[in-house]
Amino acid sequence: MGADSGPGAPSAVPWRKVLYERQPFPDNYVDRRFLEELRRNIRVRQYRYWAVVRETGLIAQQVSCVALFLTLWSYMEQGELEPSAVLCVCLGCALFGYGLYEVLGGASDGKRTRLADLQSAAVFLAFTFGFSPVLKTLTESVSTDTVYAMSAVMLLAHLVSFPYAQPSPPGSLSLNAALFGSVCLASRLPGALHTFTMLTCALLVFALWPCLLHRVREKADWSFPWAALLVCLAGVRGLGSLWPEGALLLSVALLMLTLLCPLLLVHLQRHKDNIHGPWDEAEIREDLSRFLN
Amino acid sequence: MVLKIFFPQCCNTADSGLLVGRWIPGHNSAVVLAVVHYPFIPGQVKKYLSEIQSQTQVDLAVLGSWSMPKEGQEGLDSFLKDLSTIFPQKCWLQLSREIGKRGFTCRVVQNNGTLLQDKEQKSDVDGSEEDKIILVHYDQRKVMLSQLHPVQEADQKSEIEPSELRLVFQTVAQSQPLFFLDKYDDGPLKLTHWQSEGREASIIAELLKQASVPVCICLTWLLSLWLWFCSFRILNIPPVKFITSKLSTCVQSGYRAVHFKTVFSPKKADTHMDFMRKANIFVSFLVDIALGLLLISWLYRENRISKLANTLVPVADHVAKELQQLLEWLMGAPAGLKMNKALDQVLGRFFLYHIHLWISYIHLMSPFIERILWYVGLSACLGLTFALSILSDIVALLTFHIYCFYVYGARLYCLKIYGLSSLWRLFRGKKWNVLRQRVDSCSYDLDQLFIGTLLFTILLFLLPTTALYYLVFTLLRLVVVLFQGVIHLSVDFINSFPLFAIGLRICRPYRLAEGVKFKVLCEESGSPLHLMMEINPLKCSSVLQRYRTPTYSCYPKDSWAALCKKLFVGELIYPWKQKTDKTD
Repeated sequence: MGADSGPGAPSAVPWRKVLYERQPFPDNYVDRRFLEELRRNIRVRQYRYWAVVRETGLIAQQVSCVALFLTLWSYMEQGELEPSAVLCVCLGCALFGYGLYEVLGGASDGKRTRLADLQSAAVFLAFTFGFSPVLKTLTESVSTDTVYAMSAVMLLAHLVSFPYAQPSPPGSLSLNAALFGSVCLASRLPGALHTFTMLTCALLVFALWPCLLHRVREKADWSFPWAALLVCLAGVRGLGSLWPEGALLLSVALLMLTLLCPLLLVHLQRHKDNIHGPWDEAEIREDLSRFLN
Repeated sequence: MVLKIFFPQCCNTADSGLLVGRWIPGHNSAVVLAVVHYPFIPGQVKKYLSEIQSQTQVDLAVLGSWSMPKEGQEGLDSFLKDLSTIFPQKCWLQLSREIGKRGFTCRVVQNNGTLLQDKEQKSDVDGSEEDKIILVHYDQRKVMLSQLHPVQEADQKSEIEPSELRLVFQTVAQSQPLFFLDKYDDGPLKLTHWQSEGREASIIAELLKQASVPVCICLTWLLSLWLWFCSFRILNIPPVKFITSKLSTCVQSGYRAVHFKTVFSPKKADTHMDFMRKANIFVSFLVDIALGLLLISWLYRENRISKLANTLVPVADHVAKELQQLLEWLMGAPAGLKMNKALDQVLGRFFLYHIHLWISYIHLMSPFIERILWYVGLSACLGLTFALSILSDIVALLTFHIYCFYVYGARLYCLKIYGLSSLWRLFRGKKWNVLRQRVDSCSYDLDQLFIGTLLFTILLFLLPTTALYYLVFTLLRLVVVLFQGVIHLSVDFINSFPLFAIGLRICRPYRLAEGVKFKVLCEESGSPLHLMMEINPLKCSSVLQRYRTPTYSCYPKDSWAALCKKLFVGELIYPWKQKTDKTD
């Protein structure tokens, strides 16, 4: 600060930080008191390790959900799973989840009636069932690699744009990306019923499960880590039955995500240095247009 | 002050006498119109001038004297000076020629009180700029007949003060009755001015003008009959009106009716522009009829009609066959593109069925085509424009299947584009706010999101197929539209080309004047500056621009960028759509 130590400044008149008075100092002069108002790290939160680990469970279980979905699709494509059986399981899961949701929610919010839920379910089933033959032929002429790449990108976009802070109505972009990816994958399946089943699963996994998990976390907080752990284990187990090396990779990734990353965060938090003060940050915005003329 | 005297060329060699003309008000200049020869009786001159003045509304006056030296007429000078007392004026000009000199001298005698001052002499002595006299020679006939542009009609009072030149032109043009007096007439006065050489021809023209009045009335009556027929209610109910507004023959006949209404109105064309409009329309109508008759004489010789009819059906057949092949190519894997097979098949079969319908229609028509063509060909005697309009309509009818394909393709494509654009907003969790005209974020329900994404996926994967069909049919449609556009342009050209004005510009360039230019005739010391005034003809481009008959029609409604955008979005294009009538 060159202006800070102005030699010619007489100390007879004390400097005041005002612009509306004529003072015997240069315009850019500031004195020692200027830095007294400096504040450091006023809005930094101190994290505790296990709390962060607990929060990362949400991310880990979402990744595992995607892995679970891909496993299911893989089995369906190989024809090792009967679509009707999967549908039955899905229906059971949906009914159980709905019951749990209602039990946990109680009368806390009366925004949606049973009738509206039923209507949504009917609309969804009718549309998917009606469109499944169309969806089956949709990507026939597109090459398989393109379809895979597109679904991979879309599922990645789902994971990136998922609203982890507020997951209860799943964010539009994340849900849409996941559905787009699952439609792409489902169109590769051998039959129309397969497609229908796959889309039902996608809806359960990507749309309804986050809602249920959020409700569980709100009402019974103790059970959330166990549920997340359960989903992670299921994802690793499912992938392991199909591709053991992949399962190993996934478990390593999950461990890094849940254990190593929070450690890194807590550790790096110490190095945080934000300064705040009564100044505006300089913003250089040179107007170049006058040089052009 | 510089005194300008406009002097007609035809009076250069006139005998001595009085100069008759007009002082231009507000400017220091005089226009000489004629010379009254000796001998005359001053009272008769005054009477004659006041008669002419009441006819022409130009305040004529005796400007001065003109002396042409001849043997035996030497001592006129004192007589000429005395004349100024008989015809009192503020200024008295004395123009005189001397034998053996090209220019002539001019003296101005100011007659305020008893002061007589020889201006010319004084200017010679002082050499001062302010008392110069410039003699401007002009061709009286050309100036009388020419029309100075931009046109300012006499009856419309404009804010702008007319310029000196315009006043000169107006004075000469308005004092036309002065020039009717013939050189050989027996009368109390002998005058020299421009006079018409072909009296006989002008008599014939006058007779024709008189005869045209009953013809015009008769034709106007016929026209009103036709308009009455057109105003029947059955022709104005929606489907008929829509069809007639789309058929270019009907549109053309409408224009013709309006043109005839202008031409055959029994009212005399008062203003220059009215006259030119009438003449332009009439001449282009005559040329149109002549071209049409030429076409007929070519068409009805050597059995050309039946030849034409015999080639028309195979051509239409051939086009249909080509279209069929094109569709079959599209139904396969055109250019290695990845199309949705199911949709491709559906669309292809749909269009193939249309072509099948079309071919059977053509075959149903084929026995009658020769007869139809024969009768349609007769319409060319109404003018080439009618024949061209009918050709355009026939092309439109024969390529109706292409139009249908285009409309189906465009509608489908448009639906897809709009659906995709709004679903893409849903995909990102946004929506279009109609009230604020912007994209807002919006939280959708689960089922909305699900169905929207499903539809988005379907539309996205089906888009290339539709787009390809749309592209191919749009190209076909554009070819047809281009052809029709060329026909429309030529019809419009014939309708609106100012043939009469262009002919006038070429044969009589002085009739349409844009300005004047001056040429120095002679500049000698002791005599005033002599200038020759020549008329600058109007430029051909501005003739075209000024005298083009306004048509109600046929210009591309959109700019090229807007057209491309419409093509991209899939809106239907009618590039040759008519604008709404001016009368509405």
